[in-house]
Amino acid sequence: MSVAAGSSSTLPRRRPSGRKALLATLMLLVAVASAFPLLWMVLSSLKTTAESMQVPPVWIPRTPTFDAYEKVAGVVNVGRSMWNSLVIATITTAGILVTSMMAGYAFAKYSFPGRTLLFSALLATMFLPPIVTLIPLYRMVGSIGLNASLAGIIVPNLANAFGIFLMRQFIAGVPDDLIDAARMDGASELLILFKIVAPTVAPAIAALALFAFVYHWNSYLWPLTVLQGNADSYPIVISLSRLLSYNRGAMNTGLVMAGATLAVLPPLILFVFLQRFFVDSIVSSAVKG
Amino acid sequence: MTNGYRASAGIMLAPAVTLIGVFILLPMLLTVWLSFNDWSTQTPFAEARFVGLANFQDIFGSTSVGRDFKGALVNTAIYTALSVAIILPLSVLFGLLVHQRDVGGGTLLRTVLFSTYMVPMIAVALVWSKLYSPSEGPFNQMLGLVGVSPQPWLSSPRSALISIVLLNVWQQVGYFTVLAIAGLTQIPGSLYEAATLDGANRTEQFRFITLPLLRRTLLFSAVIAIINAVQVFEPVALITQGGPVGSTNVLTYHIRRVGIERAQGGLGSAMAVMLMLSLIVVVCALFAFMNRKDDE
Repeated sequence: MSVAAGSSSTLPRRRPSGRKALLATLMLLVAVASAFPLLWMVLSSLKTTAESMQVPPVWIPRTPTFDAYEKVAGVVNVGRSMWNSLVIATITTAGILVTSMMAGYAFAKYSFPGRTLLFSALLATMFLPPIVTLIPLYRMVGSIGLNASLAGIIVPNLANAFGIFLMRQFIAGVPDDLIDAARMDGASELLILFKIVAPTVAPAIAALALFAFVYHWNSYLWPLTVLQGNADSYPIVISLSRLLSYNRGAMNTGLVMAGATLAVLPPLILFVFLQRFFVDSIVSSAVKG
Repeated sequence: MTNGYRASAGIMLAPAVTLIGVFILLPMLLTVWLSFNDWSTQTPFAEARFVGLANFQDIFGSTSVGRDFKGALVNTAIYTALSVAIILPLSVLFGLLVHQRDVGGGTLLRTVLFSTYMVPMIAVALVWSKLYSPSEGPFNQMLGLVGVSPQPWLSSPRSALISIVLLNVWQQVGYFTVLAIAGLTQIPGSLYEAATLDGANRTEQFRFITLPLLRRTLLFSAVIAIINAVQVFEPVALITQGGPVGSTNVLTYHIRRVGIERAQGGLGSAMAVMLMLSLIVVVCALFAFMNRKDDE
């Protein structure tokens, strides 16, 4: 960023105000277009049923009401679903953090035969669309008795290639001297990893945690396939998908929008507070990769 | 680099390698094996009966199985091509808007653009199904304001697939914009200074400096965009169920319907293998194309 800022300020450019106005207009247009669907979602969730059905559509609800949210609670067990999503996303994220840090450390700091080959094989799975493994995985999880349960959603996702890749990139930058000094003091390798290496790569760990949490909070295909109609274990995204089939007409627009708002809030709130980590880790995964 | 820690390496790698091996690599190999077998997803793997290439003949044959699969393959190809063709140029344009320093607010724009990437696809599908609503939806109303007649969006076989592409673009473009910004940040400012001294205008600078130096970023973006695009599932499962008249029947949706819901595990696996092969071919072709350009 500093390079870019420096370069544009030192450049002897003429800046006609027309160009600035054009840039500002374009930026505003893009921002409005990007924000519009979510804005519409929140506004519609606050409309009365009559307002939702009006043609042409009402933009701003005249008397904002939370009726739609109450109705969502009547159709879907919101508390239970939110809790399921929280359990799935939290445990999966914790697992990914541990397995990624351990493997990332091994790939970054040990040399062993077949290291490059093993890393490439793991990395290749990052580019495999989940549908390619879905059918046998569904059968496997069923045959070990984990289908229709939260464990069936969680266990197959406890490790992934992206996490290992990200951790390896960052742990490789930790000085060997730091690790060797700890070894001299007789610390075990696991202790070194979690007590000495982990704090120095904390931003990367935070980024991975957020990525994993949001990804598994939002995940739909695998939970839908594993649960096969066990509504007690539904995460919020699957519960919400039932809102649309509940009533397809315009009458339920408020209901659908209220449900969507509820599902969007947790990942969006996390993002607003921690977006720096998200952005940094995407940039490093692209630039260093 | 530290030598002599082979035992530790084993311990450190065991959890991740075991999990990825069992839950990704093993099922991938099973998919390949099952594609040569007649197998119902309701039965144990031991019940699979070897049938050679019969599944592949079926999915490329002239029966309804073949017609549906070929339709899904074509839909997925169109969907992927459109997604990449719209997302990449937009990501560069938006990246330039965020990266430039003449007008403030770039970081705020990045935040707004990237926030949509956090929204669960299921919520995107729910919200957009209402935005597209022909009568009470705001899109047709806005089109009306600029004098365009109402569009059928998701309800017509001619526009349903592109409507799903658009909602996908809206959700994903922020992620690719961040990638583009990362690429733009890597370009040394001195190149632009030199070009300005040589009298190159902004368009020339974009064509001869920015675009060539963004090639690696764009290749990476294209690969990720393709892999994301073939995974489209939620809007199809939720809103269109593959219709109207099969126009949004894409591979992830179709493979799941055949392999899980109809329990035709062998057929579904053959389709999954074809998807995997197509992806490998497309990605290799992209890299080959880029390498040839590098040689020029």
